[in-house]
Amino acid sequence: MGQLLIDAHFSMKFGKMVILDDLHFKVDEGEFLVIVGPTSCGKTTLAKVLGGLLKPTSGSVIMRGERVNPKTQNISFVFQETSCIPWRTLWDDVYMGLEIKGVDPKVAEVRTKEVIKLVGLDGFEGYYPKQLSGGMKQRVAIARAYATNPDFLLLDEPFGHLDAQTRYLMQIEIMRIWQSEKRTVAYITNNIEEAIFLATRIIVLSRLPAKIKGQRNVDLNRPRKLTSQDFLTLRKEIARDCEIVQ
Amino acid sequence: MPNSEGAGRKGIVTLWYNSVTFTLFVVLWWIFAWQSSSLFLPTPWAVIKAFWALATYGDLEGISIWIHMLRSTVRIIAGFGAACVLGIPLGILMGLYPIFYESTKSIIEPVRFIPPVAWIPLVIVLLIGFSRYAFIIWLGAFFPILIGTLLSVKQVNPIYIDVPRSFGAERMYIVRKIVIPSILPDVFTAMRVGVGIGWDCIMAAEMIGGENEGLGVMILKYAELIRIEEIVVGMLVIGFIGFLINEMFLFAERRVFRWKEAIQIA
Repeated sequence: MGQLLIDAHFSMKFGKMVILDDLHFKVDEGEFLVIVGPTSCGKTTLAKVLGGLLKPTSGSVIMRGERVNPKTQNISFVFQETSCIPWRTLWDDVYMGLEIKGVDPKVAEVRTKEVIKLVGLDGFEGYYPKQLSGGMKQRVAIARAYATNPDFLLLDEPFGHLDAQTRYLMQIEIMRIWQSEKRTVAYITNNIEEAIFLATRIIVLSRLPAKIKGQRNVDLNRPRKLTSQDFLTLRKEIARDCEIVQ
Repeated sequence: MPNSEGAGRKGIVTLWYNSVTFTLFVVLWWIFAWQSSSLFLPTPWAVIKAFWALATYGDLEGISIWIHMLRSTVRIIAGFGAACVLGIPLGILMGLYPIFYESTKSIIEPVRFIPPVAWIPLVIVLLIGFSRYAFIIWLGAFFPILIGTLLSVKQVNPIYIDVPRSFGAERMYIVRKIVIPSILPDVFTAMRVGVGIGWDCIMAAEMIGGENEGLGVMILKYAELIRIEEIVVGMLVIGFIGFLINEMFLFAERRVFRWKEAIQIA
Protein backbone atom coordinates (compact mmCIF):
# COMPACT_ATOMS: atom_id res chain seq x y z
CA MET A 1 0.00 0.00 0.00
CA GLY A 2 1.11 3.55 -0.74
CA GLN A 3 1.45 6.51 1.56
CA LEU A 4 -1.44 8.09 3.41
CA LEU A 5 -3.21 10.65 1.20
CA ILE A 6 -6.52 11.40 2.90
CA ASP A 7 -7.41 11.22 6.55
CA ALA A 8 -11.13 11.84 6.92
CA HIS A 9 -12.99 12.10 10.20
CA PHE A 10 -16.18 14.14 10.24
CA SER A 11 -19.94 14.46 10.70
CA MET A 12 -22.46 16.37 8.64
CA LYS A 13 -25.82 17.75 9.68
CA PHE A 14 -28.41 19.73 7.75
CA GLY A 15 -30.24 21.60 10.45
CA LYS A 16 -31.08 18.99 13.06
CA MET A 17 -30.95 16.07 10.65
CA VAL A 18 -27.75 14.03 10.88
CA ILE A 19 -26.65 12.93 7.41
CA LEU A 20 -23.16 11.56 7.95
CA ASP A 21 -22.56 10.24 11.43
CA ASP A 22 -18.94 10.29 12.60
CA LEU A 23 -17.34 8.79 9.50
CA HIS A 24 -13.71 7.92 9.98
CA PHE A 25 -11.55 6.46 7.22
CA LYS A 26 -8.27 6.88 5.38
CA VAL A 27 -7.32 6.72 1.72
CA ASP A 28 -3.83 5.66 0.66
CA GLU A 29 -2.11 6.82 -2.50
CA GLY A 30 -2.83 4.63 -5.49
CA GLU A 31 -5.98 3.10 -4.01
CA PHE A 32 -9.24 2.61 -5.87
CA LEU A 33 -11.56 3.01 -2.92
CA VAL A 34 -15.24 2.36 -3.55
CA ILE A 35 -17.78 3.63 -1.05
CA VAL A 36 -21.07 1.74 -1.30
CA GLY A 37 -24.27 2.97 0.28
CA PRO A 38 -28.02 2.62 -0.21
CA THR A 39 -29.97 5.25 -2.16
CA SER A 40 -30.30 8.63 -0.42
CA CYS A 41 -27.93 7.87 2.42
CA GLY A 42 -26.00 11.09 1.82
CA LYS A 43 -23.50 9.78 -0.71
CA THR A 44 -23.39 12.98 -2.74
CA THR A 45 -22.96 14.99 0.44
CA LEU A 46 -20.07 12.70 1.37
CA ALA A 47 -18.48 13.21 -2.05
CA LYS A 48 -18.80 16.99 -1.78
CA VAL A 49 -17.24 17.00 1.68
CA LEU A 50 -14.36 14.83 0.46
CA GLY A 51 -13.81 17.14 -2.49
CA GLY A 52 -13.85 20.29 -0.37
CA LEU A 53 -17.07 21.64 -1.94
CA LEU A 54 -18.97 21.39 1.37
CA LYS A 55 -17.64 22.03 4.86
CA PRO A 56 -18.46 19.30 7.35
CA THR A 57 -20.41 20.33 10.45
CA SER A 58 -17.67 18.91 12.63
CA GLY A 59 -14.33 17.22 12.04
CA SER A 60 -12.33 17.57 8.85
CA VAL A 61 -10.87 15.96 5.76
CA ILE A 62 -7.08 16.21 5.78
CA MET A 63 -5.16 15.75 2.55
CA ARG A 64 -1.37 15.56 2.93
CA GLY A 65 -1.48 17.41 6.23
CA GLU A 66 -3.81 20.22 5.11
CA ARG A 67 -7.56 20.67 5.06
CA VAL A 68 -8.90 19.60 1.71
CA ASN A 69 -9.43 22.59 -0.60
CA PRO A 70 -9.76 22.54 -4.40
CA LYS A 71 -8.10 25.97 -4.60
CA THR A 72 -4.82 24.76 -3.16
CA GLN A 73 -4.88 21.04 -3.89
CA ASN A 74 -5.16 19.12 -7.10
CA ILE A 75 -8.51 17.36 -6.83
CA SER A 76 -10.91 16.42 -9.61
CA PHE A 77 -14.58 15.59 -9.47
CA VAL A 78 -16.88 13.60 -11.72
CA PHE A 79 -20.48 14.41 -10.89
CA GLN A 80 -23.50 12.17 -10.86
CA GLU A 81 -25.56 14.47 -13.06
CA THR A 82 -24.54 15.28 -16.60
CA SER A 83 -22.08 18.07 -16.07
CA CYS A 84 -21.01 18.93 -19.59
CA ILE A 85 -21.27 22.67 -20.09
CA PRO A 86 -23.82 23.09 -22.93
CA TRP A 87 -22.10 26.03 -24.64
CA ARG A 88 -18.64 24.49 -24.61
CA THR A 89 -17.41 22.12 -27.28
CA LEU A 90 -15.99 18.83 -26.09
CA TRP A 91 -12.46 20.22 -26.46
CA ASP A 92 -13.19 23.39 -24.46
CA ASP A 93 -14.98 21.38 -21.80
CA VAL A 94 -12.07 18.99 -21.26
CA TYR A 95 -9.73 22.00 -21.29
CA MET A 96 -11.60 23.78 -18.48
CA GLY A 97 -9.69 22.42 -15.49
CA LEU A 98 -6.35 23.25 -17.09
CA GLU A 99 -7.62 26.74 -17.87
CA ILE A 100 -8.64 27.26 -14.23
CA LYS A 101 -5.36 25.91 -12.88
CA GLY A 102 -3.51 28.32 -15.20
CA VAL A 103 -1.52 25.66 -17.02
CA ASP A 104 0.65 26.93 -19.87
CA PRO A 105 -1.49 26.67 -23.05
CA LYS A 106 1.10 24.65 -24.94
CA VAL A 107 1.27 22.01 -22.21
CA ALA A 108 -2.49 22.17 -21.69
CA GLU A 109 -3.26 21.53 -25.35
CA VAL A 110 -1.01 18.48 -25.47
CA ARG A 111 -2.62 17.14 -22.30
CA THR A 112 -6.16 17.80 -23.56
CA LYS A 113 -5.43 15.89 -26.72
CA GLU A 114 -3.96 13.06 -24.66
CA VAL A 115 -6.95 12.61 -22.32
CA ILE A 116 -9.50 12.89 -25.12
CA LYS A 117 -7.66 10.01 -26.77
CA LEU A 118 -7.48 8.19 -23.43
CA VAL A 119 -11.29 8.15 -23.12
CA GLY A 120 -11.68 7.31 -26.80
CA LEU A 121 -13.38 10.51 -27.97
CA ASP A 122 -10.80 11.72 -30.49
CA GLY A 123 -12.55 13.01 -33.57
CA PHE A 124 -15.42 14.54 -31.53
CA GLU A 125 -13.49 17.63 -30.31
CA GLY A 126 -15.81 20.13 -31.99
CA TYR A 127 -19.06 18.57 -30.80
CA TYR A 128 -21.46 20.18 -28.33
CA PRO A 129 -23.00 18.14 -25.47
CA LYS A 130 -26.37 18.06 -27.26
CA GLN A 131 -24.73 16.05 -30.00
CA LEU A 132 -23.33 13.43 -27.60
CA SER A 133 -24.95 10.39 -26.00
CA GLY A 134 -25.18 9.90 -22.22
CA GLY A 135 -22.18 7.56 -22.08
CA MET A 136 -20.10 9.95 -24.18
CA LYS A 137 -20.97 12.84 -21.88
CA GLN A 138 -19.68 10.92 -18.88
CA ARG A 139 -16.49 10.16 -20.81
CA VAL A 140 -16.10 13.91 -21.33
CA ALA A 141 -16.48 14.43 -17.58
CA ILE A 142 -13.89 11.73 -16.90
CA ALA A 143 -11.46 13.22 -19.43
CA ARG A 144 -11.95 16.67 -17.89
CA ALA A 145 -11.25 15.26 -14.43
CA TYR A 146 -8.17 13.36 -15.62
CA ALA A 147 -6.76 16.31 -17.59
CA THR A 148 -5.39 18.12 -14.54
CA ASN A 149 -3.44 15.05 -13.33
CA PRO A 150 -5.32 15.03 -10.03
CA ASP A 151 -3.76 13.72 -6.85
CA PHE A 152 -7.22 12.70 -5.75
CA LEU A 153 -10.04 11.79 -8.12
CA LEU A 154 -13.62 11.69 -6.86
CA LEU A 155 -16.32 9.91 -8.82
CA ASP A 156 -19.82 10.37 -7.46
CA GLU A 157 -22.05 7.66 -8.98
CA PRO A 158 -20.68 8.60 -12.38
CA PHE A 159 -22.72 6.02 -14.30
CA GLY A 160 -25.80 6.07 -12.08
CA HIS A 161 -28.18 7.41 -14.71
CA LEU A 162 -26.93 5.32 -17.62
CA ASP A 163 -28.76 2.23 -18.82
CA ALA A 164 -27.49 -1.13 -17.50
CA GLN A 165 -25.54 -2.10 -20.59
CA THR A 166 -23.80 1.25 -21.06
CA ARG A 167 -23.09 1.26 -17.34
CA TYR A 168 -21.34 -2.09 -17.58
CA LEU A 169 -19.29 -0.95 -20.57
CA MET A 170 -18.33 2.22 -18.74
CA GLN A 171 -17.13 0.21 -15.74
CA ILE A 172 -14.77 -1.68 -18.03
CA GLU A 173 -13.72 1.65 -19.54
CA ILE A 174 -12.98 3.34 -16.22
CA MET A 175 -10.87 0.34 -15.22
CA ARG A 176 -8.93 0.51 -18.48
CA ILE A 177 -8.38 4.26 -18.00
CA TRP A 178 -7.33 3.81 -14.39
CA GLN A 179 -4.92 1.03 -15.26
CA SER A 180 -3.24 3.14 -17.94
CA GLU A 181 -3.05 6.22 -15.66
CA LYS A 182 -3.14 5.31 -11.99
CA ARG A 183 -4.72 7.90 -9.70
CA THR A 184 -5.95 7.74 -6.16
CA VAL A 185 -9.69 7.29 -6.58
CA ALA A 186 -12.70 7.49 -4.33
CA TYR A 187 -15.64 6.06 -6.24
CA ILE A 188 -19.12 6.32 -4.79
CA THR A 189 -21.93 3.99 -5.80
CA ASN A 190 -25.06 2.20 -4.62
CA ASN A 191 -24.17 -0.98 -6.48
CA ILE A 192 -22.25 -3.75 -4.72
CA GLU A 193 -21.31 -5.58 -7.95
CA GLU A 194 -19.88 -2.39 -9.37
CA ALA A 195 -17.89 -1.98 -6.17
CA ILE A 196 -16.40 -5.47 -6.27
CA PHE A 197 -15.70 -5.14 -9.98
CA LEU A 198 -13.66 -1.95 -9.54
CA ALA A 199 -12.30 -1.62 -6.02
CA THR A 200 -9.02 -2.31 -4.34
CA ARG A 201 -10.94 -1.61 -1.13
CA ILE A 202 -14.63 -1.23 -0.30
CA ILE A 203 -16.31 0.77 2.47
CA VAL A 204 -19.97 -0.02 3.09
CA LEU A 205 -22.29 2.67 4.48
CA SER A 206 -25.55 2.22 6.35
CA ARG A 207 -28.89 3.91 5.78
CA LEU A 208 -29.40 7.49 6.94
CA PRO A 209 -27.72 8.68 9.12
CA ALA A 210 -24.83 7.05 7.30
CA LYS A 211 -22.28 5.18 9.39
CA ILE A 212 -19.50 2.89 8.25
CA LYS A 213 -20.82 -0.67 8.43
CA GLY A 214 -17.72 -2.44 7.27
CA GLN A 215 -14.59 -2.38 5.13
CA ARG A 216 -13.09 -4.98 2.89
CA ASN A 217 -9.95 -5.23 0.77
CA VAL A 218 -10.56 -6.72 -2.66
CA ASP A 219 -7.60 -8.53 -4.20
CA LEU A 220 -9.29 -10.51 -6.97
CA ASN A 221 -7.33 -10.73 -10.22
CA ARG A 222 -8.17 -8.35 -13.01
CA PRO A 223 -10.03 -8.34 -15.27
CA ARG A 224 -12.71 -9.47 -12.87
CA LYS A 225 -15.71 -11.52 -13.92
CA LEU A 226 -19.11 -10.81 -12.41
CA THR A 227 -19.97 -14.51 -12.57
CA SER A 228 -16.73 -16.07 -11.30
CA GLN A 229 -16.87 -18.12 -8.10
CA ASP A 230 -14.48 -15.77 -6.21
CA PHE A 231 -16.59 -12.80 -7.16
CA LEU A 232 -19.84 -14.36 -5.98
CA THR A 233 -18.30 -15.63 -2.73
CA LEU A 234 -16.95 -12.16 -1.94
CA ARG A 235 -20.29 -10.61 -2.77
CA LYS A 236 -22.01 -12.98 -0.34
CA GLU A 237 -19.48 -12.31 2.41
CA ILE A 238 -19.78 -8.56 2.10
CA ALA A 239 -23.56 -8.83 2.08
CA ARG A 240 -23.50 -10.96 5.21
CA ASP A 241 -20.92 -8.91 7.09
CA CYS A 242 -22.54 -5.60 6.27
CA GLU A 243 -26.12 -6.84 6.65
CA ILE A 244 -27.05 -5.83 3.13
CA VAL A 245 -30.48 -7.17 2.31
CA GLN A 246 -30.15 -9.84 -0.38
CA MET B 1 -22.99 21.83 -39.49
CA PRO B 2 -24.69 18.62 -40.45
CA ASN B 3 -28.14 20.25 -40.36
CA SER B 4 -27.41 23.42 -42.36
CA GLU B 5 -28.82 21.96 -45.56
CA GLY B 6 -32.02 20.98 -43.77
CA ALA B 7 -32.27 24.45 -42.24
CA GLY B 8 -31.90 26.05 -45.68
CA ARG B 9 -34.69 23.90 -47.10
CA LYS B 10 -36.89 24.70 -44.13
CA GLY B 11 -36.23 28.40 -44.71
CA ILE B 12 -37.44 28.16 -48.32
CA VAL B 13 -40.57 26.25 -47.28
CA THR B 14 -41.36 28.86 -44.61
CA LEU B 15 -40.86 31.63 -47.15
CA TRP B 16 -43.18 29.91 -49.60
CA TYR B 17 -45.95 29.39 -47.02
CA ASN B 18 -45.63 32.98 -45.92
CA SER B 19 -45.89 34.37 -49.44
CA VAL B 20 -49.10 32.36 -49.89
CA THR B 21 -50.70 33.56 -46.64
CA PHE B 22 -49.53 37.11 -47.26
CA THR B 23 -51.01 37.19 -50.77
CA LEU B 24 -54.23 35.70 -49.44
CA PHE B 25 -54.40 38.37 -46.77
CA VAL B 26 -53.93 41.18 -49.28
CA VAL B 27 -56.54 39.71 -51.62
CA LEU B 28 -59.09 39.34 -48.82
CA TRP B 29 -58.41 42.88 -47.64
CA TRP B 30 -58.83 44.15 -51.16
CA ILE B 31 -62.14 42.29 -51.69
CA PHE B 32 -63.39 43.53 -48.36
CA ALA B 33 -62.46 47.14 -49.07
CA TRP B 34 -63.87 46.98 -52.57
CA GLN B 35 -67.18 45.41 -51.43
CA SER B 36 -67.78 47.83 -48.59
CA SER B 37 -66.62 50.83 -50.66
CA SER B 38 -66.34 52.72 -47.39
CA LEU B 39 -64.20 55.83 -47.01
CA PHE B 40 -62.79 54.41 -43.83
CA LEU B 41 -61.55 51.16 -45.32
CA PRO B 42 -58.91 51.95 -47.93
CA THR B 43 -57.85 49.40 -50.54
CA PRO B 44 -54.28 48.06 -50.53
CA TRP B 45 -53.63 50.08 -53.65
CA ALA B 46 -54.74 53.31 -51.96
CA VAL B 47 -52.38 52.56 -49.09
CA ILE B 48 -49.48 51.97 -51.47
CA LYS B 49 -50.22 55.27 -53.20
CA ALA B 50 -50.33 57.02 -49.84
CA PHE B 51 -46.99 55.48 -48.92
CA TRP B 52 -45.50 56.63 -52.21
CA ALA B 53 -46.72 60.16 -51.65
CA LEU B 54 -45.36 60.19 -48.10
CA ALA B 55 -42.02 58.84 -49.28
CA THR B 56 -41.58 61.26 -52.19
CA TYR B 57 -43.46 64.47 -51.28
CA GLY B 58 -43.65 64.07 -47.54
CA ASP B 59 -46.59 64.78 -45.25
CA LEU B 60 -48.70 67.90 -44.91
CA GLU B 61 -45.68 69.86 -43.73
CA GLY B 62 -43.39 68.32 -46.33
CA ILE B 63 -41.64 66.01 -43.87
CA SER B 64 -40.93 62.70 -45.58
CA ILE B 65 -41.88 59.39 -43.99
CA TRP B 66 -38.18 58.45 -43.95
CA ILE B 67 -37.53 61.29 -41.52
CA HIS B 68 -40.41 60.11 -39.33
CA MET B 69 -39.03 56.58 -39.35
CA LEU B 70 -35.52 57.77 -38.65
CA ARG B 71 -36.60 59.95 -35.69
CA SER B 72 -38.60 57.14 -34.07
CA THR B 73 -35.89 54.56 -34.65
CA VAL B 74 -33.12 56.74 -33.23
CA ARG B 75 -35.24 57.43 -30.14
CA ILE B 76 -35.82 53.70 -29.69
CA ILE B 77 -32.14 52.90 -30.08
CA ALA B 78 -31.18 55.50 -27.49
CA GLY B 79 -33.77 54.50 -24.89
CA PHE B 80 -33.44 50.79 -25.49
CA GLY B 81 -29.64 50.98 -25.54
CA ALA B 82 -29.63 52.76 -22.19
CA ALA B 83 -32.03 50.15 -20.80
CA CYS B 84 -29.66 47.33 -21.86
CA VAL B 85 -26.52 49.07 -20.63
CA LEU B 86 -28.08 49.62 -17.21
CA GLY B 87 -30.49 46.71 -16.93
CA ILE B 88 -28.23 43.78 -17.81
CA PRO B 89 -25.27 44.50 -15.46
CA LEU B 90 -27.65 45.54 -12.68
CA GLY B 91 -29.68 42.36 -13.21
CA ILE B 92 -26.52 40.24 -12.97
CA LEU B 93 -25.41 42.08 -9.85
CA MET B 94 -28.82 41.69 -8.18
CA GLY B 95 -29.00 38.03 -9.17
CA LEU B 96 -25.57 37.28 -7.73
CA TYR B 97 -26.03 39.40 -4.61
CA PRO B 98 -29.74 39.25 -3.70
CA ILE B 99 -29.13 41.87 -1.00
CA PHE B 100 -29.02 44.59 -3.70
CA TYR B 101 -32.48 43.61 -4.85
CA GLU B 102 -33.91 42.96 -1.38
CA SER B 103 -32.75 46.32 -0.11
CA THR B 104 -34.13 48.31 -3.08
CA LYS B 105 -37.33 46.30 -3.56
CA SER B 106 -39.56 49.02 -2.07
CA ILE B 107 -38.46 51.36 -4.86
CA ILE B 108 -38.07 48.96 -7.79
CA GLU B 109 -41.31 47.06 -7.48
CA PRO B 110 -43.78 49.99 -7.22
CA VAL B 111 -41.97 51.98 -9.93
CA ARG B 112 -42.04 48.94 -12.17
CA PHE B 113 -45.85 48.96 -12.08
CA ILE B 114 -46.25 52.60 -13.10
CA PRO B 115 -47.05 52.47 -16.83
CA PRO B 116 -44.50 54.55 -18.77
CA VAL B 117 -47.42 56.39 -20.37
CA ALA B 118 -48.41 57.69 -16.94
CA TRP B 119 -45.03 59.38 -16.71
CA ILE B 120 -45.59 61.44 -19.85
CA PRO B 121 -47.08 64.60 -18.28
CA LEU B 122 -44.31 64.71 -15.70
CA VAL B 123 -41.66 64.08 -18.32
CA ILE B 124 -42.99 66.84 -20.57
CA VAL B 125 -42.61 69.29 -17.71
CA LEU B 126 -39.25 68.07 -16.48
CA LEU B 127 -37.34 67.09 -19.61
CA ILE B 128 -36.84 68.61 -23.04
CA GLY B 129 -36.70 67.34 -26.61
CA PHE B 130 -34.94 64.09 -27.30
CA SER B 131 -34.42 63.14 -23.66
CA ARG B 132 -38.20 62.97 -23.10
CA TYR B 133 -38.60 60.16 -25.59
CA ALA B 134 -35.43 58.39 -24.62
CA PHE B 135 -36.49 58.42 -20.98
CA ILE B 136 -39.99 57.06 -21.66
CA ILE B 137 -38.60 54.25 -23.80
CA TRP B 138 -35.94 53.55 -21.23
CA LEU B 139 -38.65 53.22 -18.57
CA GLY B 140 -40.57 50.75 -20.69
CA ALA B 141 -37.62 48.57 -21.69
CA PHE B 142 -35.54 48.74 -18.50
CA PHE B 143 -37.69 46.70 -16.14
CA PRO B 144 -38.33 43.66 -18.35
CA ILE B 145 -34.61 43.53 -19.07
CA LEU B 146 -33.63 43.95 -15.42
CA ILE B 147 -36.11 41.39 -14.11
CA GLY B 148 -35.47 38.93 -16.95
CA THR B 149 -31.72 39.03 -16.30
CA LEU B 150 -32.12 38.80 -12.53
CA LEU B 151 -34.41 35.77 -12.68
CA SER B 152 -32.15 34.03 -15.17
CA VAL B 153 -29.10 34.42 -12.93
CA LYS B 154 -31.01 32.68 -10.15
CA GLN B 155 -31.79 29.77 -12.46
CA VAL B 156 -28.27 28.90 -13.54
CA ASN B 157 -27.95 25.13 -13.12
CA PRO B 158 -25.91 24.61 -9.90
CA ILE B 159 -24.03 21.69 -11.46
CA TYR B 160 -22.46 24.07 -14.00
CA ILE B 161 -21.18 26.15 -11.11
CA ASP B 162 -19.92 23.10 -9.20
CA VAL B 163 -17.73 22.00 -12.12
CA PRO B 164 -15.38 25.03 -12.04
CA ARG B 165 -15.66 25.15 -8.24
CA SER B 166 -14.40 21.58 -8.03
CA PHE B 167 -11.24 22.78 -9.82
CA GLY B 168 -10.91 25.67 -7.37
CA ALA B 169 -12.07 28.46 -9.74
CA GLU B 170 -12.37 32.05 -8.52
CA ARG B 171 -15.74 33.80 -8.36
CA MET B 172 -14.96 36.02 -11.35
CA TYR B 173 -14.14 33.00 -13.50
CA ILE B 174 -17.51 31.47 -12.66
CA VAL B 175 -19.34 34.71 -13.48
CA ARG B 176 -17.53 35.19 -16.79
CA LYS B 177 -17.45 31.62 -18.02
CA ILE B 178 -20.58 30.10 -16.52
CA VAL B 179 -23.15 32.68 -15.36
CA ILE B 180 -22.95 35.04 -18.34
CA PRO B 181 -23.06 32.41 -21.12
CA SER B 182 -25.80 30.61 -19.24
CA ILE B 183 -28.13 33.64 -18.94
CA LEU B 184 -27.46 35.00 -22.43
CA PRO B 185 -30.44 33.27 -24.12
CA ASP B 186 -32.82 34.65 -21.47
CA VAL B 187 -31.24 38.08 -21.73
CA PHE B 188 -31.88 38.05 -25.48
CA THR B 189 -35.51 37.15 -24.85
CA ALA B 190 -35.80 39.94 -22.28
CA MET B 191 -34.29 42.35 -24.81
CA ARG B 192 -36.85 41.34 -27.42
CA VAL B 193 -39.64 41.95 -24.94
CA GLY B 194 -38.00 45.24 -23.95
CA VAL B 195 -37.72 46.56 -27.48
CA GLY B 196 -41.39 45.74 -28.12
CA ILE B 197 -42.49 47.69 -25.06
CA GLY B 198 -40.17 50.47 -26.23
CA TRP B 199 -42.26 50.78 -29.41
CA ASP B 200 -45.50 50.93 -27.42
CA CYS B 201 -44.03 53.74 -25.41
CA ILE B 202 -42.64 55.79 -28.30
CA MET B 203 -46.03 55.89 -30.02
CA ALA B 204 -47.76 57.16 -26.94
CA ALA B 205 -44.94 59.58 -26.17
CA GLU B 206 -44.85 61.04 -29.70
CA MET B 207 -48.60 61.51 -29.78
CA ILE B 208 -48.44 63.67 -26.68
CA GLY B 209 -44.90 64.99 -27.01
CA GLY B 210 -45.73 67.99 -29.18
CA GLU B 211 -42.92 67.59 -31.70
CA ASN B 212 -43.28 67.52 -35.45
CA GLU B 213 -41.39 64.40 -36.41
CA GLY B 214 -41.82 60.71 -35.62
CA LEU B 215 -44.23 58.00 -36.74
CA GLY B 216 -46.53 58.56 -33.78
CA VAL B 217 -46.93 62.25 -34.65
CA MET B 218 -47.45 61.40 -38.30
CA ILE B 219 -50.34 59.08 -37.48
CA LEU B 220 -51.85 61.71 -35.23
CA LYS B 221 -51.62 64.43 -37.90
CA TYR B 222 -53.65 62.30 -40.30
CA ALA B 223 -56.01 61.10 -37.60
CA GLU B 224 -57.11 64.68 -37.11
CA LEU B 225 -57.92 64.85 -40.82
CA ILE B 226 -59.51 61.36 -40.82
CA ARG B 227 -57.17 60.32 -43.64
CA ILE B 228 -57.18 56.58 -43.10
CA GLU B 229 -54.75 55.68 -45.92
CA GLU B 230 -51.85 57.53 -44.29
CA ILE B 231 -52.76 56.21 -40.85
CA VAL B 232 -52.60 52.65 -42.16
CA VAL B 233 -49.26 53.43 -43.80
CA GLY B 234 -47.94 54.56 -40.40
CA MET B 235 -49.27 51.43 -38.71
CA LEU B 236 -47.77 49.10 -41.29
CA VAL B 237 -44.41 50.83 -41.19
CA ILE B 238 -44.29 50.44 -37.40
CA GLY B 239 -45.19 46.79 -37.71
CA PHE B 240 -42.60 46.25 -40.38
CA ILE B 241 -39.78 47.90 -38.42
CA GLY B 242 -40.73 45.75 -35.41
CA PHE B 243 -40.63 42.68 -37.60
CA LEU B 244 -37.17 43.62 -38.87
CA ILE B 245 -35.85 44.20 -35.34
CA ASN B 246 -37.20 40.84 -34.23
CA GLU B 247 -35.61 39.10 -37.21
CA MET B 248 -32.30 40.78 -36.39
CA PHE B 249 -32.48 39.43 -32.86
CA LEU B 250 -33.36 35.95 -34.07
CA PHE B 251 -30.51 36.05 -36.55
CA ALA B 252 -28.06 37.06 -33.82
CA GLU B 253 -29.43 34.35 -31.53
CA ARG B 254 -28.91 31.65 -34.13
CA ARG B 255 -25.35 32.83 -34.47
CA VAL B 256 -24.54 33.14 -30.78
CA PHE B 257 -26.39 30.06 -29.56
CA ARG B 258 -25.26 27.49 -32.04
CA TRP B 259 -24.77 25.11 -29.10
CA LYS B 260 -28.54 25.16 -28.45
CA GLU B 261 -29.50 24.18 -31.96
CA ALA B 262 -27.02 21.38 -32.36
CA ILE B 263 -28.88 18.20 -33.21
CA GLN B 264 -28.55 14.75 -31.72
CA ILE B 265 -26.35 12.52 -33.87
CA ALA B 266 -25.44 9.66 -31.56
